[in-house]
Amino acid sequence: MAENTVVQDAKAVKSEPLFGKKEKKLLLDPLNDNNPITVQVLGICSALAVTSLVYPSLVISVAVVFVCGFSSLFTSLIRKNIPKQVRMIVQLVIIATLVTIVELTLKRYNFTVYKQLTVYIGLIITNCIVMGRLEAFAMANKPWRSFLDGIGNGLGYGVILIGIAIIRELFGKGTLFAGSPAEWKIIGPTADYMINTLADGSWFGWYANNNLMVLPAAAMFIIGVFIWIQRSYYPKLVDIS
Amino acid sequence: MHSTSYIVRFVVIMTALVAFFLALLSTGWKDQIELNEAIFNKRAILSAVSDYLGDQDPKEMSDAEVIGIFDSKVDQIALDMSGTPLEAEDIIASGYKGGRAEDIDMAKEKKKDEADRILPLYVFNSDKGKIYIVSVRGNGLWDEIWGSIALDGKLNVVGATFDHKGETPGLGAEIKDNPAFPNSFKGKKIYNDDGDFVSVTVVKGKAGKNNDYAVDGLTGATVTAVGVDEMIRRGIKYYEPYLQKAIAQ
Amino acid sequence: MELFNIFIKAAFIENLVLAYFLGMCSYLAVSKTVKTAFGLGLAVIFVLGVTMPVNWVISEKLLSEDGWFGVDLTFLRFILFIAVIASMVQLVEMIVEKISPSLYNSLGIFLPLITVNCAILGGSLFMVAREYNFSESIAFGLGGGFGWFLAIIAIAAIREKIRYSNVPPALRGLGMAFILTGLMGIAFMSLMGIDPTALTAGK
Repeated sequence: MAENTVVQDAKAVKSEPLFGKKEKKLLLDPLNDNNPITVQVLGICSALAVTSLVYPSLVISVAVVFVCGFSSLFTSLIRKNIPKQVRMIVQLVIIATLVTIVELTLKRYNFTVYKQLTVYIGLIITNCIVMGRLEAFAMANKPWRSFLDGIGNGLGYGVILIGIAIIRELFGKGTLFAGSPAEWKIIGPTADYMINTLADGSWFGWYANNNLMVLPAAAMFIIGVFIWIQRSYYPKLVDIS
Repeated sequence: MHSTSYIVRFVVIMTALVAFFLALLSTGWKDQIELNEAIFNKRAILSAVSDYLGDQDPKEMSDAEVIGIFDSKVDQIALDMSGTPLEAEDIIASGYKGGRAEDIDMAKEKKKDEADRILPLYVFNSDKGKIYIVSVRGNGLWDEIWGSIALDGKLNVVGATFDHKGETPGLGAEIKDNPAFPNSFKGKKIYNDDGDFVSVTVVKGKAGKNNDYAVDGLTGATVTAVGVDEMIRRGIKYYEPYLQKAIAQ
Repeated sequence: MELFNIFIKAAFIENLVLAYFLGMCSYLAVSKTVKTAFGLGLAVIFVLGVTMPVNWVISEKLLSEDGWFGVDLTFLRFILFIAVIASMVQLVEMIVEKISPSLYNSLGIFLPLITVNCAILGGSLFMVAREYNFSESIAFGLGGGFGWFLAIIAIAAIREKIRYSNVPPALRGLGMAFILTGLMGIAFMSLMGIDPTALTAGK
């Protein structure tokens, strides 16, 4: 939940630059210091299941950035009119609408990718990161800043997601961007990479794909290690529990 | 604190706005989305006969090319379980308004009793004679799996494609994602030398290079592989009455 | 016995947390002690068991082309599902408070957390994707909830013990919780071999 997120100062200073230091901080902090996954523990759900391949992860990341940014923007625009008692439902309706738009857009313009992702698109709604940012930031800040905060957090999420996917796909399948128009077969012979990796003619033909990497559990290990590395560099992030 | 009537008004107006916008979007794009779905299915069917399409890879064809080739070279026939071809009104009576074989929803058919099912058969007219593309559907590890199997005039397998609803990426999903798996079906036989139906077995581990009746299984996806095996065995059998008559001619 | 199969599958083989990562946020945040984990786990079983059939009715009768209105309204599915979940949670909270204040005291604080628990909406979306019927949806809801309950109890118990181990400081807490979840996921994968049909057929 959003317990350990810092609610930034809500008071807006007049005549500030459109993209000053504060705005830059909002956009870039979530990439490391305040990363939604490794620091805020938000949004680990749902979309991780697609991280065994880079391409679907990329699409999901773009979708999350879009939903996160615009739901923050819209919530912030109407934040003073939202009745407190039903604010959760209102936020969820905004998120669900945006996710439905993403789903329809994919169905309309890239049906193949839609077929790959199916239910995972809908699960963006339950991605706690979106809701968490609305509650912790957009409800108390001006639209433009909320928008940047949403985009920043979406990006921070995407970076981790794609990072995990690169490791999993590279070591698990020997490819990158499999399923997309630009598929790179990196490890193993160009053809039949999964069934016969030993008889080769290409680079790293000796490498046998690591099946652990394609299991859901691998994503957990990789995030664990990411957190370990990050906290070794930034000891202030360590918690004791 | 807002009053109750304000809350009610707020919620009603917001819901109405959102519903209106989404309805607009959804109806506006409905036709294109349905067309996309049809092209998606046709592309999958053509992938099963990719060897007969020359240099063209069904995966890279444009939408128009897919429709063009499908309409010019593929005949579609709907069959009942005894192998009798059905008329358009029979298909409509089974609940498919379009009245064509391509309108048949295999997922719906799978839920019916075996005897009541109707089957779509696609006949691809290649330079080397007719290729019969049968549709099969079964269960994988998590959910349903399905595919198209292409059989030549001697009823040997000349191509296959598979798809799935929710198999694990990298494991069961390899039936679709790894082209080596469907390709390994090419050249396999479904009848033994005595003319008995034996299907193609998906073995656990390696099938051996000279085995005409088996393909390699998938590492770490035993349940999906067993599902594919069962699906093909049962699915092709459904078409047997018609196919035997058709090749005897 | 089809229903029993679905229950077993949802609870063990297709565990919402360990196989689909659903509900990870509250799973990690509320798994520091077994006692709180127990409360949240119970609440999840309850809410999943209630929302699943309600969402089934919405999806099949209200939104489907074959439903009461005869119009395809599936584009409203996400919104209605999440609204049902949010209001169900609210309703459950009020009912529990009225009927059993003692249960409310132990469960109450977790209930609002559940609205944003991904496992609930995820469950409903899977239910639609797998085309379950009404009674199957209840079995799936209860099974999924039970699986979630098991997973959070297990991780909480391990986290209680691991506090006395010498874990590298940077890995303590969150990092270790992820790695433990991964190990538990692998352990649960060994249950994949279970064939529920064989269990019920008495083979």
